[in-house]
Amino acid sequence: MTSLIVKAAGRALAPFILLSGVYVASFGFLSPGGGFQGGILLASGVILIMVTHGCKEVHRLAENIDWFETFGALTFLVVGLTGLLVGGYLFSNLLPDTPLMCIVLDIVIALKVFAGTVAVFVYFFGMGVEEC
Amino acid sequence: MIQLRKEFITLALVLMIAVLLLHGLQMTYEDKEISEVDEYYKEHQEKTGADNLVEAILLDYRAYDTFGEVMVLYIAIAGVIILGKIVTEEGEP
Repeated sequence: MTSLIVKAAGRALAPFILLSGVYVASFGFLSPGGGFQGGILLASGVILIMVTHGCKEVHRLAENIDWFETFGALTFLVVGLTGLLVGGYLFSNLLPDTPLMCIVLDIVIALKVFAGTVAVFVYFFGMGVEEC
Repeated sequence: MIQLRKEFITLALVLMIAVLLLHGLQMTYEDKEISEVDEYYKEHQEKTGADNLVEAILLDYRAYDTFGEVMVLYIAIAGVIILGKIVTEEGEP
């Protein structure tokens, strides 16, 4: 399907893209970045592998991608509600002077955006490439 | 004749957008007075513990808006998944 060079380049680049995605997502409260940007970076790493190596390589991820997304959205809601229960108002900071809310919500958003973007790719473009 | 008019319309649209963009570039922010909400964000930044004020606002002060954003994204992607599943199972919808 794709030439050997493309596969080798894809395999070589993907870990660095994923690593930078994890960094951008998790250090959103310190350095520029955040949940949304990190999630997109992670998704681009996985989509790079999907394009170069076909959907078969990541078929386990492709199958239950929508569960990741639902899990991400629900944990966002649960964090908000626990803030309501603990702190008295919705999305209140559970540990007041620590960036806990920023870290937790960043990771949840990153997971959600990552799963959503990969799902878009799987369900829209996956049909052209061989079945995921 | 119609061909000519279509180009004029697009040309007019492009010029209008160009004028708006150039006007936007000249806007200066010196005379914009700081509203009390910005003051509150700046003073209480250490309470959120986040150095990146944008993230502090996005995730701590206005997490409810971000929750709406996440839900909008979720619904959009759910629509894509539903369409994708319909197309793959029944061929063309």
